[in-house]
Amino acid sequence: MAVVDRAGPIADSWTRLADDQAPAAGATVIVSFARLKNEHNSLFSAAGKVGVEIAGDVKLEELEPFLPRLGLIVVRMNNMRDGRLFSIGRMLRENYKYAADMRAAGDLIPDQMLYLLRCGFTSFEVKDGFPIDSLRRSVAAYTHWYQRIANSATPVTELRHGAAHGGEP
Amino acid sequence: MYIYDKFDHAITSERVAEFSQQVTRRLAGELSEDQFRPLRLMNGLYLQLHAYMLRVAIPYGTLSTKQLRKLADIAKKYDRDYGHFTTRQNLQYNWIKLEQVPEILAELGSVEMHANQTSGNCIRNVTADQFAGVAGDEVEDPRIISEVIRQWSTFHPEFSFLPRKFKFAVTGAAKDRAAIQFHDIGIHIVKNDAGEIGYAVYVGGGMGRTPVVAPLIKPFVARHELLSYLEACLRVYNMHGRRDNIYKARIKILVRDLGPVEYARQVEEMWPLTRASGVDVPAAEVARIQAFFAPPVYETIKEPVAAFEESKKRDKAFANWVKNNVHPHKVPGYGAVTISLKPIGGIPGDASSAQMHQIADLSDKYSLGEVRVTHVQNLVLPNVKQADLFAVWQRLGEIGFAESNIGLITDIIACPGLDYCSLANARSIAIAQRLSEHFADVDRQHDIGSLQIKISGCINACGHHHAGHIGILGVDRAGQELYQLTLGGAGDETASIGTLIGPGFTSDDVVGAIDKVVETYRGLRQNAGETFIEAYRRVGPAPFKEALYGRR
Ligand code: SF4
Repeated sequence: MAVVDRAGPIADSWTRLADDQAPAAGATVIVSFARLKNEHNSLFSAAGKVGVEIAGDVKLEELEPFLPRLGLIVVRMNNMRDGRLFSIGRMLRENYKYAADMRAAGDLIPDQMLYLLRCGFTSFEVKDGFPIDSLRRSVAAYTHWYQRIANSATPVTELRHGAAHGGEP
Repeated sequence: MYIYDKFDHAITSERVAEFSQQVTRRLAGELSEDQFRPLRLMNGLYLQLHAYMLRVAIPYGTLSTKQLRKLADIAKKYDRDYGHFTTRQNLQYNWIKLEQVPEILAELGSVEMHANQTSGNCIRNVTADQFAGVAGDEVEDPRIISEVIRQWSTFHPEFSFLPRKFKFAVTGAAKDRAAIQFHDIGIHIVKNDAGEIGYAVYVGGGMGRTPVVAPLIKPFVARHELLSYLEACLRVYNMHGRRDNIYKARIKILVRDLGPVEYARQVEEMWPLTRASGVDVPAAEVARIQAFFAPPVYETIKEPVAAFEESKKRDKAFANWVKNNVHPHKVPGYGAVTISLKPIGGIPGDASSAQMHQIADLSDKYSLGEVRVTHVQNLVLPNVKQADLFAVWQRLGEIGFAESNIGLITDIIACPGLDYCSLANARSIAIAQRLSEHFADVDRQHDIGSLQIKISGCINACGHHHAGHIGILGVDRAGQELYQLTLGGAGDETASIGTLIGPGFTSDDVVGAIDKVVETYRGLRQNAGETFIEAYRRVGPAPFKEALYGRR
């Protein structure tokens, strides 16, 4: 398993905590959502940074109170065709204004990552041997978009009428 | 017609480059077939029974003659010299080689066409009324908002991996010629009491094994808020639509299970979120697109046009063709011609490269260079002067497309069926051909009047049999191809789903069974003006059952 962003492999400082495992003082840990709900007070005070892993059936309003203090959200989909990931990403960024790292995990292919980036994801958990060249090519495949999506480039619908080009990707 | 600017061109050619490298990675084994599948489907590429099929989008059914000629040339160069126009206003090539697809897509791009999202679990080609811009009963040309939707839905980052495919249809007219209530979202352009143009949104219609007529979810959405409303509709579906069972994954099942009222409530709750994202396009952009659909310059012509009236009197066959195939035009002295791609005994919707070129020439000469595709698998010359109709009709006769059967019993819709499709239970095309021959007599067809037969080779209902006045469904019973009949379906503004009338018929018997249905109708209609569907709605299935199966 490796972690990549739009440019390629990145160092991953996060460790995954089993639900019965106590965090080392000051550690950077990912916990389950159930545990976050139950133990958020002790977790936030003991660990250095806290991240959470959620799945497609998450109720975002339950996650909302913790968002300002989370350093990472991992959204896991076990099937690459399960597109709930994209909606969850956009809602977290655009509506809940979540600003820290957001990571997509699961059986993803490079060709999906541009869409994930546009929906607000910043990193990806992938299998070892993931084709990094294809990732780099895929995320650079397009210069322009038709849709206005928060955090992403000015769409052509606005560029056509004089808006400045800006934003990423 | 909409004309690409540098941005549209850039996006289209970047897409070709992207798919080209995806094909290379597939051929090199970096992508498995499972991983490649959704990618090729989103580029219109299917694996059929014998070969790859490429489905080219004809957005809202509008083509320039330059585009039609390119479609013809591609058919000649890369396929077997013909193309097949489909019920979703697309064109399919049935014999395509994977390695050549990037090259074909580049050729399409050169005439501002593509195969984007003509398959896969994403937003498909938007269909619209084939008489857009020329029909008299129109509130607004549906192609304007269809093009806005085409751009918005192209490579949408959130809605490219939906639970299942997603189809839009738009009409701007009182008479629904786009079957909007049989789509995932149907949009009816309306005017409110204040005279403002907006959209009535129907959600959750569809064919397939669970046919549903879409309920009205929102009677009026203002023009500048349509896209955010649609995003809310799609997001509720993307989050809550079923992914565990492919047969329950369409939005119609979600709307049915939640109930239209609850679905509408969830959409309302989501709407402020999508509105806040700023997805609604600026008014200046809608105005820019609208300008492309400004009406062409028409001549001022006084009706009646003497030569035209004269020809009708002189030539009964021409008069019949005018009656059936020429739709009134909003501009006096013009007509909209439907070219029947249903010659007697032919394959519904097929056209050869030569025929496509000949139609393009006809349109350049007589119809301001535009061609439309209908969801009944015919073509339209939208702007023909009445004075030219006789010449157009004669020329169509020379190329084998002058059948005066639009809306009549031989204007049959048929899916590809067992001849091409790996999911089929039974042949569809062969049944269409035999029915067409059986009812070939023009006078009899006119006597029978308006009657739509629609044929599907399996329960997936690509031939829209549920919406046929007479529907034919191919089923497999212990290895035998059988055909079940449904009666009373309709795809217009009186949308209804046909009722299964009884046990199926063998291939040998099905034509005779349809003949019985037709004769039963002729025997019980109140007068020559009462159409099949009107009569059926009046008397119900009983007399037809009795004619087919005897008294029970
Ligand atoms: S209805 Fe069935 S047989 Fe016909 S094209 Fe669709 S899937 Fe194939």
